Amino acid sequence: MLHVELTIQGLINGSMYALMAVGLTLVYGLLRILHVAHAGLYTLGAYIAVLIANATGSLALGAAVAIPVVGLAGMIVYRLLYEPILHRPPYVALIASIGLFIVMEESYRLIFGPYGETFNAPYLAERVSVGPIGAKAAEVAMVAGAIVLLGVLAFLSKRTRFGIAWRATVTDPAMARAFGVDTIAVRYANFFIASALAASAAVLVAVLNNLVEPTMGSVPSYKTLAIIVLGGLGNVAGTLVAALALGVIEAFGTIYIGHLLDRDAIAFLFLVLVLMIRPQGLFAAR
Amino acid sequence: MLRLEAMSCGYGGMRAVEALDLDVNAGEIVALVGSNGAGKSSTLMATAGHVALQGGRILFDGADISRASPMARVAAGIALSPEGRRLFRDLSVRENLIVGGYVRDAAHQPGNMDTVLDLFPRLKERFESLAGTLSGGEQQMVAIGRALMSEPRLVLIDEVSLGLMPKMVDVCYRAIQALKARGLAVLLVEQSTARAFAVADRVVVLESGRAVWRGSAAEARGNSAVIDAYLGVAKVEGAA
Repeated sequence: MLHVELTIQGLINGSMYALMAVGLTLVYGLLRILHVAHAGLYTLGAYIAVLIANATGSLALGAAVAIPVVGLAGMIVYRLLYEPILHRPPYVALIASIGLFIVMEESYRLIFGPYGETFNAPYLAERVSVGPIGAKAAEVAMVAGAIVLLGVLAFLSKRTRFGIAWRATVTDPAMARAFGVDTIAVRYANFFIASALAASAAVLVAVLNNLVEPTMGSVPSYKTLAIIVLGGLGNVAGTLVAALALGVIEAFGTIYIGHLLDRDAIAFLFLVLVLMIRPQGLFAAR
Repeated sequence: MLRLEAMSCGYGGMRAVEALDLDVNAGEIVALVGSNGAGKSSTLMATAGHVALQGGRILFDGADISRASPMARVAAGIALSPEGRRLFRDLSVRENLIVGGYVRDAAHQPGNMDTVLDLFPRLKERFESLAGTLSGGEQQMVAIGRALMSEPRLVLIDEVSLGLMPKMVDVCYRAIQALKARGLAVLLVEQSTARAFAVADRVVVLESGRAVWRGSAAEARGNSAVIDAYLGVAKVEGAA
């Protein structure tokens, strides 16, 4: 029974990692940018949700505003930060991204204070049980949210004309453009979707922990980078599997080797071990 | 339909094609032949808008499209099946065809797809396969089919037979002849002179970026010196 519970706990954490990391790998796949500031947008989503939920008493309204607003913020980050330096070597965008992430974290600290915000009334705190297995409603929402959002993303990318054009742009932007695909629109859509996914993850994590703080993006920032390397940079399906695998390995590792290593250290030990065996990641990079 | 007037193009400071004059009319196949580096592919790429013009003009239906973007040329009715095919390897055959027709209204998509599948029935069997997993011949079919999805009136096809089994080359050339029968203009680049002379109405031989011989396919077949020129063995007398 312990193993079942650990697996479920791992899948819950893995779902959050998946929502974050899929957005990150979408950006990498299209523009070859390691978008560290993604985690800053994640935190922004949590703050918008908690402030609106506390002001109006509606978490749904907070999420409904946070997700598209963060999507738009992602588009603005692309326009103002990345687009002017796309022709530069990739490390220039990486440095700019790290810089923006630091600025965002410090801004949250200055504006909202260092101690964080909590929801006036905790949401989804009740437990849901199926037979002997139980979980918080927020944890169930995390998994359900990941399944629905990533399902919608899969539908968009596989079954709509724009989604197919988007994937064509990832494969060969010049040819896609030649066939009439508006590759600039694809880039903006890419940032909107990636950032909206990060905001969705942030709202769910904020509800789960009942805490929103300036540094809540720090751990996800580097852990999701590890996940997209594991999944094969730019490989969405690989990233999904890597996110869930990391969640499960962390859950088991915390129990079995937690006395030796911290949870985050377990994640990076896993990354190091995988990369020693498969330098290209668990799946081929795109 | 297509007219190149003293068209020069190249890459940076390098000139790939020098003052080329060329016409391609509706219902006609024109073959460009020549040795490696003769400027054949560059001519196609410049016509499609992928290589910068360095001189002259490109006219399509009388309109100067020299400065038009590749997308605008596709919209005008020029489609390219490029060297190396450049398929979207992570997309299925169906998805490659959808991207090929992206410039047209979505309502045209089913009809255009049926046209392509009638031309290449083999693609029906591989419809949901990833393009990167197809054989060379199947990839060539997808590349030509993808070009046809944009409802072109002029099709530019590079290296039709390169690396393909003869049976697959036959399939591709039957399709090209079917395009001609429908009134489309075809400008193709071909390494195999036998294939080019068999299918083309007119032949233009390029050497070092210049047209060195031009004539009907029948004249080309009867003139072994053309083949020598193509192989780089000897120059053809009376070069254009």
